[in-house]
Amino acid sequence: MGMISLELYKLRRKHLFLTVILFLFVEIGWAFIATSMSIARNPDNAGWEALIAMLSSMNGLFLPVLVAVCVSRICDMEHKGNTWKMLLTLSVRPGALYSAKYASACFIMFVPCVLQVLAIATYGIINGFGQPVPIFLLFRFLAGIVITNMTVTAFQQWVSMTVKNQAFALALGMIGGFTGMAADLFPEGIRRIFVWSYYTGLSPVTQSYTSENIQFIIRDAGSLLPVMLVLIAAGIGIYLAGCVHVTRQEV
Amino acid sequence: MNEIISTYNLSKRYGSTYRVNNVNLSVCEGEIYGFLGPNGAGKTTTLKMILGLTRPTGGKVTVFGKDLNENRYLVLSQTGSLIESPSYYGHLTGLENMRIVQKLRDVPDKNVEEAMKIVRLENHKDKKVSQYSLGMKQRLGIAMAILSFPKLLILDEPTNGLDPAGIGEIRELIKSLPRRYEMTVVISSHLLSEIEQTATSVGIINDGIMMFQGSMESLKNKKHPTIMIKTRNNKLAHEMLFNSGYLPTQREDFLAFENLTDEKVAQLNRILVENGIDVIRIEEHKKNLESIFLDLTGKERSL
Repeated sequence: MGMISLELYKLRRKHLFLTVILFLFVEIGWAFIATSMSIARNPDNAGWEALIAMLSSMNGLFLPVLVAVCVSRICDMEHKGNTWKMLLTLSVRPGALYSAKYASACFIMFVPCVLQVLAIATYGIINGFGQPVPIFLLFRFLAGIVITNMTVTAFQQWVSMTVKNQAFALALGMIGGFTGMAADLFPEGIRRIFVWSYYTGLSPVTQSYTSENIQFIIRDAGSLLPVMLVLIAAGIGIYLAGCVHVTRQEV
Repeated sequence: MNEIISTYNLSKRYGSTYRVNNVNLSVCEGEIYGFLGPNGAGKTTTLKMILGLTRPTGGKVTVFGKDLNENRYLVLSQTGSLIESPSYYGHLTGLENMRIVQKLRDVPDKNVEEAMKIVRLENHKDKKVSQYSLGMKQRLGIAMAILSFPKLLILDEPTNGLDPAGIGEIRELIKSLPRRYEMTVVISSHLLSEIEQTATSVGIINDGIMMFQGSMESLKNKKHPTIMIKTRNNKLAHEMLFNSGYLPTQREDFLAFENLTDEKVAQLNRILVENGIDVIRIEEHKKNLESIFLDLTGKERSL
């Protein structure tokens, strides 16, 4: 816990929370405007499912970039001032340092996830959606993005700690954003390889086009559970590989 | 005296090149050990291996009598260091940087105040480190290293980037540490004058090989004087003295002789005068430390 609070202390004046919140506002604003326009055209779309599906799709575009920015800021400060070497001479275990960075990034990225859920609930209530707030559906939505975020964070941290030039990590985040947004267009076998595809892949609501009409289908929680477990296992694997690789590097 | 650092045949190979080759370094308690060598000689690599930042290809390191491999965290908890360039978080103030080290070292606030005062940064503690000059960053690095007032302090080129006044200040600070805080200090530099004025014992490394190790006194004792003699006819004098068993070498207008006793000089002078060769000058040229250093490390290398 001490190491995590130290990581957050080191982020002073980096305005990381502000960056994350502003980024989130843009995403939510875009999603809500698009949903409002959709409802205006077709009042049948005024439901929680459409809103969740829209946010899931937007997350595929925005969150990979946001995770890349957040992780890059956390890791880059060690590269810029050559501080990794100093920390290791202060009898800090490199594994503990790596995990503190990971935990801090996950914590910071957890905040926009929760804010998204609250924003969805607020939007639905303000716009007078017929059904009550679907707590379980929103919880599944939150679980999906948090798990995907944690896996993407593990991957981005590995890259950001290994490659000093953060342009590389940020470019990877942008590629992730494109992949996340276009993931549903790929065949399932290919889609599953990319971690960024799970923002929509783990969404509790999916979209289907039948006879020029869009339909929102609620996925069965049981069918998504194995996918979640596989993603969690992949996340742990990526984290451990990154941690071992980075901590064994000579300074 | 207790040995604080000992290395046994310490080696580090990158590819097929040995950056450090069978180095046996020995630092005793309370010493200021000057680790001297030209750029690229292997000083930083050796110090990194002593701190466990780099794994040796061969050999062993013991610090405080304990094997570094098995007791790394214990050793590091009693060691302060500044390796290569100073490390800092540029977006934080000097004080905030110190607080980070303070939390990791778990030392009281008074240590922070004292360390900042020692390096004379107390008036700049609330300034962002990115706005510091190189010399101030270097001093902050030293403050971080001495924050816990460790038993062992390892400073790699600590005067880099400092102006002459700053160099003088740091030199005095380093000299005072063993006395004031019972620290053992290892300081590396490629500047002979730095080490000469600070260290009590010295190790000279070149191309990864330890060329000399011992007290500063024993290094200074290598200053054998050269006797230079100028005559009206150096060619004839050379021939005559060579036949008398001397080994003169021609250096510009002089004949040079190494390791001559006073008696031998008097005898040499007598031979020349008795044979009608006028002696114009007899001079004694003492070697300075720099020429000893250059002799040890090779003159073609830059200092």
